[in-house]
Amino acid sequence: MAIAATIPSAQFGGLRPAESQGLVNKSVEPILKTENLWKLYRAGKVEVPALRGVNFAVQPGESVAVMGPSGCGKSTLLYVIGGLASASRGTVLVDGNDLAEMSDAERTKLRRSKIGFVFQRFNLLPTMTAKGNIAIAQYIHGDGFDPHRFAVVTKLLGLEGRLNHKPSEMSGGEQQRVAIARAIINEPKILLADEPTGNLDTKNSDVVLEMLHQLNKELGQTIVMITHNPEAVTYFDRVVHMRDGVIVDGIPAD
Amino acid sequence: MMGELVFRNLLHRPIRTFIGVVAIGFEVMLIVFIVGLTSGLLAETAKRIEGVGADIMLQPSSAGVLIGMSNAPMPIKIRDRLAELQYVQSVAPVLLQFNSSGGVELVYGIDKTFDEVSGGFVFLQGRGLEGPDDLLMDDLAAKSKSSRVGQKFRLFNHDWNVVGIVEHGKGSRIFVPLATLQDLSGSTDKASLFFIKCTRPEHTEDVMAEMRAILPNYTVRAVKEYVSLMTSTNIPGLNVFVDAMISLAVCIGLLVIFLTMYTTVIERTRDIGVLKSLGANSPFIVRALLFESAALCLFGIIAGVGLSYAARASFLKVFPTLSILITPEWVLRAGGIALFGAILGTIYPAWIASRRDAVEALTFD
Repeated sequence: MAIAATIPSAQFGGLRPAESQGLVNKSVEPILKTENLWKLYRAGKVEVPALRGVNFAVQPGESVAVMGPSGCGKSTLLYVIGGLASASRGTVLVDGNDLAEMSDAERTKLRRSKIGFVFQRFNLLPTMTAKGNIAIAQYIHGDGFDPHRFAVVTKLLGLEGRLNHKPSEMSGGEQQRVAIARAIINEPKILLADEPTGNLDTKNSDVVLEMLHQLNKELGQTIVMITHNPEAVTYFDRVVHMRDGVIVDGIPAD
Repeated sequence: MMGELVFRNLLHRPIRTFIGVVAIGFEVMLIVFIVGLTSGLLAETAKRIEGVGADIMLQPSSAGVLIGMSNAPMPIKIRDRLAELQYVQSVAPVLLQFNSSGGVELVYGIDKTFDEVSGGFVFLQGRGLEGPDDLLMDDLAAKSKSSRVGQKFRLFNHDWNVVGIVEHGKGSRIFVPLATLQDLSGSTDKASLFFIKCTRPEHTEDVMAEMRAILPNYTVRAVKEYVSLMTSTNIPGLNVFVDAMISLAVCIGLLVIFLTMYTTVIERTRDIGVLKSLGANSPFIVRALLFESAALCLFGIIAGVGLSYAARASFLKVFPTLSILITPEWVLRAGGIALFGAILGTIYPAWIASRRDAVEALTFD
């Protein structure tokens, strides 16, 4: 059962109003844009290119799935556009800010306010409860704990009864829902998901994908998701394929 | 939130936290106990010297603050010259002899003039020194040696008769006749120290001036001055010893904290990556680790204070004659030293953590 699908949209009250209600406004500037993006890794004395001139744009409110074989540079692309890794060459514009021109500290600040991450391995802090894992994102964001928004997000993701449990006491699906709650609690402009269903069974994968879909359609949350799951792409506006560090096409999912 | 993060991290590895707390506790205990032992002994010795009731002490020229360290006895005839001085009420020669058998203590060889200076002992049992083999003990020495009046007591390869138990606080814990001790130590007609009592305390300076005039090669000290000099800084080597022990304690604490926080950073590499992905900057990471280290240290300080009191109680049970002075000042100092060591030991691991590449951290297994 898709939990989010059963939640009336009225329950999203308190979150950022939907900007596009799922409609991508292509007349405005992309919220995310890369131009001739290169990322080189050094292996000994050899430089190995992970990204080879990626040109990629995402409109506000758009949901994009990035697919491709292992090692093609999908995760690297996600880390670079999320500001976790620096670009070797090219431009990365996030909400008009060029990450390539920023220092690590500036990228961190931008990430704090504009980007939310969801990872394949959930990456929850094992010592903290679900509540602590979500609240710490608010704390780092700097606005302090907002009980109203916290209540809305945890209800949206069906976590009310699991808030005092640690990650080790939760199922994979529950952990991933906590991770999504943590990622969206500060209303980021872009949600970046790195194979969020990779460690989940089919049932929980569907729940997570449905939730991401709801976030996009109901709240206009911009989402870029990396996936190997061909079924997952049906939840997204657009699918981008990568191979050998470049984007090879970009086709509408429908 | 930071408090919750730190607290839960400490609880996550209870054994490691426990070891860290115990190590810091030992560091604090070592400092508090060593300082307490040395300052306690010095303060107690000073108090006992003051308790003799004399105004002035005369020692050989080379005498230091530790009176037992002087083994250059003076001619006992000096007593007669001192007794002739104006404002001198009484003069008591004392021969000091170290006993290291069954404990370390300074034995006083005294004669009847000691009573004139001190006003006499307060006897809890028995009587004063009369025969050549008589011996007096104070109550603490009697308790620690389980001695009673009427028993024999072997000291300096000589059998003594315990004839009295006196209240503690007058110079030594064991007193024997001066003449016998002179014979036993081959110091016939010699004394290590003279206690001088003036007719009035305000004459002390005048008497000291006269003493310096007639005995220019001797050390003349007012008892009040002597008491004020009984600090670790005035005892040769003691300050160095105390500093060495403190340094050792700091090294132990620093290394334990360093190791604890370093393993913490390694273990939490992925968590550090997660925090960075959430937008935590380097100061946040450093602050989190410093707070954790400080919290660990705080628990260690509390444990250390408890351990110090427990160690003191244990020592005093075994060695009742010891004096261990645990002062709030040194508890605070030891806490500060431990905290400083903990912060110092955390700086490098925290720096490593803050510099860690976020992507590498997130993919760390």
